[in-house]
Amino acid sequence: MAIGKSKFRIDAPGKVTGETLYPADIDRENFIHAKVVFSNKPHARMKRMDLSAAEAVTGVLGIFTAADVPVNEYGLTMFDQPVMVGVNATGRSKVPSDVSRWEGDQVAVVVAETPEAAQAAAEKIQIEWEDLPLVHDVWDGLKDDVLVHPEAGTNAFKHYVIRKGAMDDGWAAADVIIEGRYEVPHQEHAYLQPEAAISYVDEMGRITIEIGGQWTHEDQEQVAHALDMPAEDIRIIYPAIGGAFGGREDMSLQIVMALASWKLYQKGETRPIRSQWSREESIIGHHKRHRAVVTTRWGATKDGKITAVEADVYLDAGAYNYTSNKVLGNFHLCVAGPYEIPNARIDSYAIYTTTVPGGAFRGFGAPQGAFAAESQMNKLADALGIDPLELRLMNCLHDESIAITQTPMPAGVSIRQVVEDCASASQWHQPLADAEPFQAFQSLAADKSNIRRGRGIACAYKNVGFSFGFPERCEAKIELYGSVEIERAVLYHSAAEVGQGTHTALRQMTAEALAIDYDKIEMVLSDTAFTGDSGSVSASRMTFMAGNAIKGAAERALEAWQNEDRPAVGQIRFTPRSTDMIDDVTGKGDANISYGYVAEVVELSVDIETGHIHIERVVCADDVGHAINPNLVVGQIEGAIVQAYGYAVTENLRVVDGRILNPRLSTYLIPGIKDIPLQVDSVLVEVPDPQGPWGARGMAEMPFIPLAPAIAAALHDATDVWFDKIPLTPENVIRTLRDNEKTS
Amino acid sequence: MWPKEFDYVRASSVDDAIQQTSDNTDAKILAGGHSLLPAMKLRLSEPGKLVDISRLADLKGISANGTLSIGAMSTHAEIAASADVQQYCASLATACGMVGDHQVRNFGTLGGNIAHADPASDPPTVLVAAGATIHIKRSRGERSVSAEDFFIDLFTTDLEDGEVITRIEVPNLSGHKAAYVKMPHPASRYAIVGVAVILEMDGDTCKSARVAVGGATVSAMRASGAESALSGSSLDDAALNAAASAVQSDISDALMGDVSYPESYRQAMSGVYLKRAVKAALG
Ligand SMILES: Cc1cc2nc3c(=O)[nH]c(=O)nc-3n(C[C@H](O)[C@H](O)[C@H](O)COP(=O)(O)OP(=O)(O)OC[C@H]3O[C@@H](n4cnc5c(N)ncnc54)[C@H](O)[C@@H]3O)c2cc1C
Repeated sequence: MAIGKSKFRIDAPGKVTGETLYPADIDRENFIHAKVVFSNKPHARMKRMDLSAAEAVTGVLGIFTAADVPVNEYGLTMFDQPVMVGVNATGRSKVPSDVSRWEGDQVAVVVAETPEAAQAAAEKIQIEWEDLPLVHDVWDGLKDDVLVHPEAGTNAFKHYVIRKGAMDDGWAAADVIIEGRYEVPHQEHAYLQPEAAISYVDEMGRITIEIGGQWTHEDQEQVAHALDMPAEDIRIIYPAIGGAFGGREDMSLQIVMALASWKLYQKGETRPIRSQWSREESIIGHHKRHRAVVTTRWGATKDGKITAVEADVYLDAGAYNYTSNKVLGNFHLCVAGPYEIPNARIDSYAIYTTTVPGGAFRGFGAPQGAFAAESQMNKLADALGIDPLELRLMNCLHDESIAITQTPMPAGVSIRQVVEDCASASQWHQPLADAEPFQAFQSLAADKSNIRRGRGIACAYKNVGFSFGFPERCEAKIELYGSVEIERAVLYHSAAEVGQGTHTALRQMTAEALAIDYDKIEMVLSDTAFTGDSGSVSASRMTFMAGNAIKGAAERALEAWQNEDRPAVGQIRFTPRSTDMIDDVTGKGDANISYGYVAEVVELSVDIETGHIHIERVVCADDVGHAINPNLVVGQIEGAIVQAYGYAVTENLRVVDGRILNPRLSTYLIPGIKDIPLQVDSVLVEVPDPQGPWGARGMAEMPFIPLAPAIAAALHDATDVWFDKIPLTPENVIRTLRDNEKTS
Repeated sequence: MWPKEFDYVRASSVDDAIQQTSDNTDAKILAGGHSLLPAMKLRLSEPGKLVDISRLADLKGISANGTLSIGAMSTHAEIAASADVQQYCASLATACGMVGDHQVRNFGTLGGNIAHADPASDPPTVLVAAGATIHIKRSRGERSVSAEDFFIDLFTTDLEDGEVITRIEVPNLSGHKAAYVKMPHPASRYAIVGVAVILEMDGDTCKSARVAVGGATVSAMRASGAESALSGSSLDDAALNAAASAVQSDISDALMGDVSYPESYRQAMSGVYLKRAVKAALG
């Protein structure tokens, strides 16, 4: 067996020794340098752009703008953003290109002999702007006084509904009704490696981009679309990637670098171009986890049966859609939690504003939904006097359940199992020991009288794969070499290694599928010139999809081997079962292929004078179906919990008048080693996913999802106060405690 | 993140440094560089010339003879480790030991720290509470000023162009109960709020108290209301609570905040940290 073992990560030695090159490490002696220029205007119309002074800077080789982009539009799921904002766009796109709708909109790419010359020229670009009124937040957006995209007709450009059962019956049956309003913030991905790329025209005449991304073939398609070229003329290669978390799904440097290389190549300039963003540019220039507001009402009988759920979700999409319409879909389902809900009315809106776009980020709408749903469950439990663990067990989905989308749940529903396993691993039924004084890293040891201790629970589910009717696919090719015995096998695959360990898992699964030695597997990876479309490393989907693709390719390759083909080749494009977009009027539809399930218990202490939170323990039970590599799975759980801790407690992106005020790691505070939970107990639950390869289930987002509501529940246990707004910064905790003193 | 181009000279003596900075207002003294260089990289400061005083022996050394005398070029690490400082004014050693990280403490100096007058600094708060005196040299001779009068506003002191801080003098407080406590910023370790208390005790009664606050305020400042609330009391809970609310009004006109820690929070924390400082002083 090659799977089920904690194989050493194949990318580890190179990364630890520094031998592995990330995009910004690649050094070619003849590099020329590109600088991407941001509009720095949250909302303004460009009246005039003058490049003459910039072009006169010594060393400048070319400055490219909207006027150079053949099809000046971009968007992963709908085209609503100009590749560059500019006045003389070609008009081959319907997207108006003269308006900057966000401070990070790109207006030009300058290429020069040195980075300094590129920078100097960038500063000399003269633009005349007409400022337009800002749309600060969702409430501003909903007024529709100022339209961010007039052609869309409204700022609330996407709306999903759920109409299930009869709300009147649901409320009539309820003995207790809990109302809540929840606010969740932006989150920055803060990956170690800021955006960087190199571009050139390769020996076959393909415009080539080496960059960190999450889906080579999507990058290829987006570049090809904007440049109006066949996809095969564009080549995308992923070198080592320093983290992604969803933040590399949308384009950063891909299109503008491709454009620059292509334009310069036509002028006979063949040197490769290099570009790299600073941390500030990275934070300003790419999307964030969406901030949102949820207002919701849940009813239950006195014995704890949920009778009705009503919710309104307001998602701040920012200036462009990016993946907001898809994030909203997940949010929409998760806001009702992994429970049987007989009657539901949910309305979810994605709303344009003139702020940083929201987009993909680990959990993809589920953390926001879970914060509302799980907080509601904890409040219900409190109001009913029922243990919050028991309340979950009474209501959670099972294999025979009808989903919130009014269709049967895909088989393999394991929420009960994860909740029970989490409870036993955390000794939920044992009393929590007394508070001990703690030395919060940021704080001073408080004396015992100011410390409160508490414990909280939350659980969650989330779809694996994009679904909602999306045509999912994942390609794999395997070649077998040898004569009598298979001496070596080569896997061709595009899965992006973003640090999660996917290449190690691919190799393990290939060895398993072929039943040959792990050491005989070679891999050709993430280069559109050689490897097929794998789909994105996102939505916890890659092990699930790639495993199935590898199994299929291995089967075919082994067949060819039996037929004496040498090399024996097997190739497949795996497509999972199809799904539906949910109905516009009822929200009905078989929306998702499969789900992942998770539960968490948090034990914490809080200093009620300073608001500092100290998490002593997190117990996470995550159903991984079948752990292909247990250590990597534990790594995903621990990493997700640290990242979710930042989301729930420390990270506080400030956006004022359309601008990010703290685009630096000195002021946008991601957790440090001394902040994070002292102990994380990972419980690997293995309820096979019937559709998963060897039963494996998507898992890497799940541990992120319930942490914030579990912390809020533990804080309530400690202080008797509900915290409905994150991040739980010391300031927020103290303010909320004081506001409650005043009202109670 | 690159500074503007500048010239660099190494001063041959304190007088040389004074002359070079008096003749040229575009010149700046360079001590440890741990405040000046970051400011230059952010282009908040763009001096045309740096005059390096870091090797001048006259500005180094710590001695204790009735009062404590600390050369301006003493590093935070040297002060934190000095037996003389620990004996005369242990809370100054504590404050210097809490500055930034090892690198910052090994390079940053007390003179540079107070001349820069970052409101989030630690040592100024203790110096104000301790009633320290700043000794300054200039072309017209020498002068001295109390710490309380030295710190004026955000990054603003009583220091004028062409003046060099030579040493900082601190009274002998060995008979007092004192403490400095702070809430450090999670990224930089600068004080979000810092409180210094110096208590003169008579048995269980506090005969007199000196209290200073930094971090939460535009500069290190005395908190006289808190001082009166503590003086004459037995430092029981009632007195501490009274002092905690007094300190919040003492500083209400001088509050400072940022995106993560707004003024109101820092103000509230000054009360919390005052109570904790008194408890720490009483040990
Ligand atoms: C990452 C980091 C974290 C830090 N954290 C803290 C912290 O937690 N608490 C804290 O208190 N400080 C902190 N600091 C600041 C640190 O204490 C600095 O070292 C100190 O403030 C400046 O001392 P310096 O010797 O480096 O001065 P320099 O940077 O060399 O000079 C600073 C200013 O003072 C002037 N100057 C220097 N010496 C004299 C003199 N003798 N006479 C007249 N003018 C002079 C210079 O012209 C300049 O304007 C931190 C700094 C960094 C970089």
